[in-house]
Amino acid sequence: MRMSLDIVGKNMIRVDALSKVTGKAIYPADVYMDNMLYGKTLRSKVPHAYITVNTKEAENIDGVIKIFTCKDVPTNEHGVVFKDHEVFCSKKVRRIGDPIAFVVATDIKTCDLALEKIKVNYEEIEGVFDPISAMKEDAPKVHEGNNIMYHYKLRKGDTEKGFESSYVIAENTYKTHMVDHAFLQPESGVSYIDEEGRVTVVVATQYPHYDREEIARALNISEDEIRIINASIGGAFGGREDISLQIHLALAAKEIKRPIKVVYSREESFISHSKRHPLIMKYKTGADKNGKLLAMEADIIGDTGAYASWATNVLRKAGVHATGPYYIPNVKVDSIAVYTNNPFAGAMRGFGATQPPIAYEQQMDILAEELGIDPITIRMKNMFKKGSETATGQILTESVPLEECLNKVLEDMDLNLDRKGAY
Amino acid sequence: MIEIQLTVNGKDYTVNIEEDKRLLDVLREDLGFTGVKEGCSEGECGACTVIMDGKTVNSCMVMGFQANGSNIVTIEGLEKDGQLHPIQQAFIDIGAVQCGYCTPGMILSAKALLDKNPNPTKEEIREGISGNLCRCTGYSKIVKAVEKARGYEDES
Ligand code: FES
Ligand code: FES
Repeated sequence: MRMSLDIVGKNMIRVDALSKVTGKAIYPADVYMDNMLYGKTLRSKVPHAYITVNTKEAENIDGVIKIFTCKDVPTNEHGVVFKDHEVFCSKKVRRIGDPIAFVVATDIKTCDLALEKIKVNYEEIEGVFDPISAMKEDAPKVHEGNNIMYHYKLRKGDTEKGFESSYVIAENTYKTHMVDHAFLQPESGVSYIDEEGRVTVVVATQYPHYDREEIARALNISEDEIRIINASIGGAFGGREDISLQIHLALAAKEIKRPIKVVYSREESFISHSKRHPLIMKYKTGADKNGKLLAMEADIIGDTGAYASWATNVLRKAGVHATGPYYIPNVKVDSIAVYTNNPFAGAMRGFGATQPPIAYEQQMDILAEELGIDPITIRMKNMFKKGSETATGQILTESVPLEECLNKVLEDMDLNLDRKGAY
Repeated sequence: MIEIQLTVNGKDYTVNIEEDKRLLDVLREDLGFTGVKEGCSEGECGACTVIMDGKTVNSCMVMGFQANGSNIVTIEGLEKDGQLHPIQQAFIDIGAVQCGYCTPGMILSAKALLDKNPNPTKEEIREGISGNLCRCTGYSKIVKAVEKARGYEDES
C-alpha cells in the first residue's frame, strides 16, 4: 500500500518564515533582560604553552563582578566524543583561541578592560602544525600520549593482486584545506536563573540535549536543574555542535544569580569554533584495459587540530566513502585522525564525505585519460547499481539511481548548453 | 553623552547616547529594533542594513551621532496595517528564508532597489543585494523572491 504524502514533494511554508521576514525572530543576542551583566572570554594568543594566570588586578576594576578560571569549574572538561577540551585551560594551552578565563562585568567596555589586565604568563613550548610531522614518534605531544588519536582500517580482497592485473594505475596525493562554517550569526547567549531556580541558557545550538549534559557534568549539578532554550539559530552547518559559551554562561549565572549576556565578535567566532578537517589523501587506483576498476588504496590523514571533536566519526566516514560510488573488488583504506596545535576540526557539512570526492573523482578522470576513454564512460562502467557491494560489504538493495541521474545530466547538458534556468 | 533625534519607521525619537555608540547599537539597545542584526561589525556582511534617508547603509559603520536628524527604516517598519510588504510575502512564498539572519538586511536592500528601480533585471537584483551575504540559501531563491516582488508598486 502506498501512503499518500502530505509534505514530501510539496512546497511548505516554514513555520518560522513569518517571524524571520518581520524581524521578530529572537536570536540569543536579541534577548535583553533587566539587571543584565555582560561576559567576555580571555583566549590564548599562542598555540602551545604552559600557562599561569593572575586575575588580581583585573578583579579590582570597578564594574568587574567576577572572573572565572579553571579553579571555579567542578569538572573542568567537555567534548562531544572525548572529554579532551577544558572549560578553562588549567596548565596548558593547545591552540590559539583556547579559553583561559571568563570575565563578568556591568558592561562590555569593562569586560574588555579586565581582559587586558588579566596577566597570563605563557611558557611557550614547541608546537606541531602539520599532521604528518605530528605522527612521528618524537613530535611534540598535544595531549598525553600519541598524537594519532584514531585509525580506521578498511580491507577488502587483495589490493596487491588487483594492481598486478591492472593495465593502468594512477597514484596521486590530494589535499583539502580547512573551512570555516562562517554562519552569519556569531555565537551569542544569555543565561539566568529562571523562576523555578533552574540554570537557564538561551543559546543557538545544534544540540540542546548535549549542552545540558555537558553543563550538568562540568558544574556537577543534575540535568533537571538546567534548562536550555534554543533560540533562533543564525546558521550552524556543524559549527554549533561543540560547546562554545554554554558552560561559561551557566557557571556564571549559577554563581552570580543575575542574567549574563555574551556576544562573540566575528573574529572570536572564527578563532573559537571548529573547522572542516583538512585531509591529505594519498590514492592509488588501478583499472583494466576497458576501464573496469580493479583495486584502490587510500591513505587518508586528517588534521583534527587541538581537539578531537568529531574526528573519529569524520575520518571513519571519509574512509567508508573513499571509493566513491564505484564498485572496486580490492580495497585498502587507512584513515587517520591526528592532533596538532592548529584550530580544532569537527563537524562541517558532509562530516568527512565532502573531501574524498576531490581525490576519487580526479583519479577517475586521470584513469580515463590514460585509457583514452571519456570520463562518463569510465563512471558508467563502475558506478554502484542496485545489488552492488560497497567496499565495506554492504549490498545496496534500495534505491541507487546514479545511472539515471548521470543520464539525466547528460541529456540536459546536450539540450540546454546555454544552461537555461540556471543561476 | 550627546542627544540625537531621529525618525525610525515613521516615529520620532530623542535619545542620549555615548559619543562612540554605533547606529546599530542605538537601534538595537536604546530603541529595541532587534531585527537589525550584527554579523561582522565591519561593513562586510550587510546583516545590519537599514535604510537611512532613502539609501541603504550598514548601521555598524554609521556612528549614532551621524544619524542625528535622519529618517530610518528598519525591517520592523515594513508591515503596513498588519499587511506584509510584498517583498516580505515573496520571501515567504518562494522559500527565500532559511536561518533568517540575513533576511532583514536582504529585504531592506531589495526594497531600496525596487523603490528606485521597480523593474530590475536579474543582474540588477544580484547587484542590488551584493552587499548582503547569505550563508544558507545560495541566493537563488532570494533573487527569485525579489523577481516575484518586482513591480509590486504597479499592483498596489
Ligand atoms: S554587521 Fe554591519 S555589515 Fe556586517
Ligand atoms: S538565510 Fe541564513 S544567512 Fe541567509
